[in-house]
Amino acid sequence: MIDKKFIVGIIVFGSLWGFAECIIGSLLRDVNLPAGAIMTGVFAIGLMTLSRTTYGRPGMQTGIGLVAGGLRLFNPFGGCFICSAIAIMAEGLLFDLIWTGFSLDKKTTQILTDQVSLGIISAYLVYVGGYIVTQILTPVFSSAGFYLENLLVFIPQILASGLLAALLGVATVPAVIILKKLHITIQDRLYYPITIGVSAFCWVFVIVNTLFILWL
Amino acid sequence: MGKDRLLPILALILLFIASSSSLFVYASQTTTDTLLVNGQHYTINQLFSLAKPRMFNDSQYIGIALDDLMLKVGVANPERHTYTFKGSDGYEKTVTWENLQNGLLTKNRESVFPDLPKAFRVKEIVTIGVN
Repeated sequence: MIDKKFIVGIIVFGSLWGFAECIIGSLLRDVNLPAGAIMTGVFAIGLMTLSRTTYGRPGMQTGIGLVAGGLRLFNPFGGCFICSAIAIMAEGLLFDLIWTGFSLDKKTTQILTDQVSLGIISAYLVYVGGYIVTQILTPVFSSAGFYLENLLVFIPQILASGLLAALLGVATVPAVIILKKLHITIQDRLYYPITIGVSAFCWVFVIVNTLFILWL
Repeated sequence: MGKDRLLPILALILLFIASSSSLFVYASQTTTDTLLVNGQHYTINQLFSLAKPRMFNDSQYIGIALDDLMLKVGVANPERHTYTFKGSDGYEKTVTWENLQNGLLTKNRESVFPDLPKAFRVKEIVTIGVN
């Protein structure tokens, strides 16, 4: 039987992540900040950690990444939007694999050192992995084709660029776990109206924003 | 080894990899006023005097035609080669002759290909290799 609450959870978290990528990511790029690392280290890791520790079900973050990447395709501005969409989808899958691999579903670690470590590992591997996947898949889907040597010579830069994401992850995961301790919950009767409303707002805002920019 | 021990060790290893890669990238960055095209050094002004101009998107992107540039620098049988654009930060992308026929090189030494994703815009190009 389809778990509607779970599906709606995927949609709302994916929409929030996609919204952040399209709107906040664009603002960060406009002021020449490292948008990719900030978006992954703060928003992606934050939302995926929150969803994982709330629902505790493997597979959810892959879905969240697909929704967020799908929304990014509706905002064809700010750098290579196809690369961004591919990276976001890959990041969701990688987060899922890392947390499932470490069996972190049932018990979120209570020790601060482990929370910080988890932030570094998740943010770094998700960012670097997403970067590598997009460097492979973007050329594959273009007429130029993929050349392995292009990727290999750029590996040191990719590994270096993940440092900021890892350092942001140091604060993000513990912050989410502290937030969880506040036990903020949505009443059952308000769950669907709020989650569907938030998701709709994110999609409408991004699409209207795109149309507005194209019209200008 | 328990998860509680494995997580901090793995985190430290990743931080070490990221930090040492950052140092390597910083130490190996190249800055040059010339571009190495098909094995020969040119200034951007020399390249602009060689090849014919090209523009896209109502003059949003102005530069020189990359296919014409390759012919002018002496590439024979251009359709049999691929072309690798390398930036000062080490980023590089390889394209085909068909891609070059729609591509341009800007005065800021950036490659622009309207039929390819923006990932193919290599900035601060230092080398255009003919493979």
